[in-house]
Amino acid sequence: MVLSLRVMAPNRIVWNSEVGEIILSTNSGQIGILPNHAPLLTALDMGVSKIRSGGQWSAMASMGGFAMIDNNQVTILVNEAEVSDEIDPIEAQKDYEVAQMELAKAEGRKRLIQEEEKEPTNWIDPLSKALTFVNHLPRLQE
Amino acid sequence: MASSSVRRGVSRLSHLLQNTSPLASSAHSCSGRCPGLSSGELAPFGSRMASSQIVRNRMKSVKSIQKITKAMKMVAASKLRGVQVKAENSRGFWQPFVALLGDHPDIESKKNVILTISSDRGLCGGINSTSVKFSKAMFTLSASEEPAKYVILGEKGKVQLQRDSKKNIQMVVTDIQKMPINFTQISMIADEILKNVEFDTIKIIYNKFGSVVSFLPSVATIPSPEVIARESEAGGKLEQLESYEIEGGDSKAEVLQNLSEFQFAAMLFNASLENACSEQGARMSAMDSSTRNASEMLEKLTLKYNRSRQASITTELIEIISGAAALEAAS
Repeated sequence: MVLSLRVMAPNRIVWNSEVGEIILSTNSGQIGILPNHAPLLTALDMGVSKIRSGGQWSAMASMGGFAMIDNNQVTILVNEAEVSDEIDPIEAQKDYEVAQMELAKAEGRKRLIQEEEKEPTNWIDPLSKALTFVNHLPRLQE
Repeated sequence: MASSSVRRGVSRLSHLLQNTSPLASSAHSCSGRCPGLSSGELAPFGSRMASSQIVRNRMKSVKSIQKITKAMKMVAASKLRGVQVKAENSRGFWQPFVALLGDHPDIESKKNVILTISSDRGLCGGINSTSVKFSKAMFTLSASEEPAKYVILGEKGKVQLQRDSKKNIQMVVTDIQKMPINFTQISMIADEILKNVEFDTIKIIYNKFGSVVSFLPSVATIPSPEVIARESEAGGKLEQLESYEIEGGDSKAEVLQNLSEFQFAAMLFNASLENACSEQGARMSAMDSSTRNASEMLEKLTLKYNRSRQASITTELIEIISGAAALEAAS
């Protein structure tokens, strides 16, 4: 008996084949799924899941989602996922550092936008008063 | 049809020329009567009727319109190809939700929210009007103690719904198409909606992309976590949910809430992509038919132009010959 596993991200199918065993990481710990598991619906944390297929274990990193298990059909819906053999460690390290810099920049800009959101109330009142005044001026004859 | 109006114009003008003497005033009066001349446009001096100059100007503008609409059609076709792939890939994302929770448009709910997805730009055929028509129909159908509320995505839907349902609009999101649609952006929008709008069910109204010529208005129903919990008890519509062991959170309610939010984001993602595909497809066919109309118009104008050119040549010949004959008769 095997489990048929489908892992889906919003823009592509990450995994679609039959496997022997899955280990998922949820926010209440890790769950092992073997064939003939009871129906289960669980939320997945951002983390690494392990999949055993044909005697080989592979790892998959996922950015949170849901897993539904019913009748040996496992469906995992994730925001984004990557299987370990598709990941290049050097590139991943570079991406990580770039992402950290962008995060710092974004935090700074977020604070700036929040400050700006408090500003508009200062000029919106005089502006609306000026506009209503203009609307009440007599219209020129054409 | 064009030729008979041209001939009528000629007879009207010849009547004018007999009655008024100076050429200047006839030019003025013929600008009011001459077909093809708009008010304020004076026929060039010495011309006789629906002048070839004016028809030529019209032909130039119709030709440039034809080129523009042809280019717009090709742009829409290339954009369609890109979005279509994404839309098809996103279909697999919400199907497990429907397999788990089913699709129950008739679920009982008091607070209904209608989410209309429309485009930001126009010239895309009738899809926005169809969406708005369906939203209004849903609005009247879902009448319960509280009137339903609108959440609108897209400029065109907002403009149309503001006309008569302004007080029922709760939230408007525009300019979504400034960058290509991706899941992160949609989940932010979904987040905002969930924060600011109370609902029992959300009905997403969008145009599902059938093919380049067929767009089906569709509605996707998303119940809130409380409704899911209520219906998953015995006798409700989501009874099969009970057979699932629910893990992964501190409580079943928390998992159901996350599930409902995720389902909403997934459905909204697919609905926006399908609507974007339909928009490009509708724009393609609208631009195609306007290109065809422009070439038909161009043909008619060419005939008109040739006739007017020939008529003016003939009148000049007649004048010359009658002048020469008069001289001969006098001598």
